[in-house]
Amino acid sequence: MKAKEAFLPDIIAFCCAQSAYQAADTAGSMRIPYPENIRVIRVPCAGRVDVLHILRAFEKGADGVLVLGCHEEACRHLSGNIRAKNRVQKLNTLLQEVGIDGERVEIFTLAPNQGFRFARIANEINERIKELGPSPVK
Amino acid sequence: MDNGLRLGVFLCDCGGTLSKATDFLAIKANLEKLPDVTYVSISHDLCLERAREAMQKDIKDKGISQVVVAACSPELHENDFMNIIQAAGVNRYLLSMANIREQCFWAHPDKGKAAKKAMAQIVMAINRARFLEPVEQTKISVNRDVLVIGGGMAGIEAAIELSNLNLKTTLIEKEAILGGKLNQFVNLYPVRVTPGELLAAKLKQVDERQNIDVLTSAELIDVSGEVGNFSARIKGGNGEFVRNFGAIIFATGYNTQFSSQIYGFELSNNIITQSQLEEMLKSSSEVKETPKSVCFVVDISDEHSRVSTLSALRNALGVKEKFGGEVCVLCKNLKVDGAGLERLYRDCRNKGVLFIKFDIPPKILKQDGEIRIEVEDVLMSGEQVSLSCDLLVVEETSIPPLDSKVLSSTLNIGLDARGFYQENNVHLYPVASNREGIFFAGNCHADLDLMRALTEASNAALSAYQLLAQEKITVETEKVMVDPDKCRFCLTCIRACPHHAIQEVRVNHEKMVAQIVDLACQGCGICAAVCPAKAIKSKDWSDEQILAELELLGEYV
Repeated sequence: MKAKEAFLPDIIAFCCAQSAYQAADTAGSMRIPYPENIRVIRVPCAGRVDVLHILRAFEKGADGVLVLGCHEEACRHLSGNIRAKNRVQKLNTLLQEVGIDGERVEIFTLAPNQGFRFARIANEINERIKELGPSPVK
Repeated sequence: MDNGLRLGVFLCDCGGTLSKATDFLAIKANLEKLPDVTYVSISHDLCLERAREAMQKDIKDKGISQVVVAACSPELHENDFMNIIQAAGVNRYLLSMANIREQCFWAHPDKGKAAKKAMAQIVMAINRARFLEPVEQTKISVNRDVLVIGGGMAGIEAAIELSNLNLKTTLIEKEAILGGKLNQFVNLYPVRVTPGELLAAKLKQVDERQNIDVLTSAELIDVSGEVGNFSARIKGGNGEFVRNFGAIIFATGYNTQFSSQIYGFELSNNIITQSQLEEMLKSSSEVKETPKSVCFVVDISDEHSRVSTLSALRNALGVKEKFGGEVCVLCKNLKVDGAGLERLYRDCRNKGVLFIKFDIPPKILKQDGEIRIEVEDVLMSGEQVSLSCDLLVVEETSIPPLDSKVLSSTLNIGLDARGFYQENNVHLYPVASNREGIFFAGNCHADLDLMRALTEASNAALSAYQLLAQEKITVETEKVMVDPDKCRFCLTCIRACPHHAIQEVRVNHEKMVAQIVDLACQGCGICAAVCPAKAIKSKDWSDEQILAELELLGEYV
């Protein structure tokens, strides 16, 4: 039990520069705390995130990966968020098949002003990954 | 190992505020130990003029090849830093930023953990910096004429604004006269001018301008080319012709339609739509039988329509003024979410318009020439109210103009779920389309009242001006590029590109490949992600750069 408490997951959040990245900034500006083990990688659009990038994150020892994009119908690049969603959903089953819990990857949508939502997502995913334990790839 | 990299790291402690949370000197010492890091400096205010000069001097003196800035969010000052390093002789894309303010010290109250994360972020940025590539810029001359499609209020306003900004404008209108919905409306409440007066005033302005060319009974057939150099095929009274434009503003408005499915009955001589009522109110000849009682029903079909609620209120007042008699508005939730609309509602009540609020849609029964309405009044705790009227006015749903589907597919502009034009991003770019240089104004893409439509028209005109203010626009060349050797011409990228920025070209007279149009590309990198052959490289967000940020994972967490 104690080991579980001490386990600090590595979580990578690919954040769309148009929305989620700004939401993370908003969370910071409003001093809303969220787990510091979440690291943000800025991407121009959630649609830029390739399956390759997510798999590499696991290969390098990430315990969980978040893809954060714009709300549906509010994507700067129209279909980017939907592409990302489809990709992540496909990856969920793929990861399950190779023995990594599919729940370790998740996509959420945010607007730039949703600092609270960003923090809530970060907390939620952190708790979930803690529950799942370290990634088997590690 | 000499790979020619000379990384310069510029730390900023934001006026000393971040130094309270961590020891910047320790960070500096740690960073200096990293390979390829040539120079590390600490500044208190990188965003101020004097620090910028020092930064430029450092870049030149130390011969720095790639710049890493660890400061506030790149959303704030990335462009400024790009300009600084460009002035110092380093390509503006050789910049990598670490966000140590908003996403580290501000977000995490635990100073130790925040400092650790900051270090990790900076190392990630340094790793990314190793793979940065220069992107060159060129200037392309643009055509400074603007095409405005749709001669309704929004289109006219956009044309006048553009003319004020000294841009030559062509305004095309499908109908024989300008004015659009203004020709139909009875009044413009809460605005205290009549539609005729407003239209006459605006048309006078249009007439006076030398640089507005009005073409009525003209339609847009298709458009080729890119921002700055569109060429539009227009069908007018004198046949088809082609004209060149730098930007296009769509102000095609909306149509209305009565949906009998929602109401469960058809229109008849005493059940009419808002537009039929407007026609009736507008006609100068006396109506044979003045209706003594008129009922409006709104909020049944489309709960979110601002336009239909507004026209019910306006016409309720119009009926009161012209016919007198009893007027009653049955509604669910009146949305008075605009300047003056609350006053319009109060005016209606003061003039004696009765409002009945329902939760369950009212029952409408036709009984020998009269209409009986049974409704549960919410404000009277659900009491059953029964009333009869001579004339029932039902609301109409807004529908997109007929040609928007054709135009959207020939021009590759997105449509929303209801078939209206889809703006690029409702929050950030409310009048921009997915294609660079094409803008929207008015009700062709949103549900707006007159004032909002006018604001949008000016906004769209300014957006066009922003593009065309200079005679040349700066374009990044080959920021995203296709490797012709790897390209198998599977068309995946052409289908995926949301901005219609990929075209097909033939190389060396044989192979067909995809090619990115620099002017139209907005750098989202979706093509790079979907390309099955990995033939597309986005230079400022390349796979190498993104993967490099994943290196060292775990070490600094």
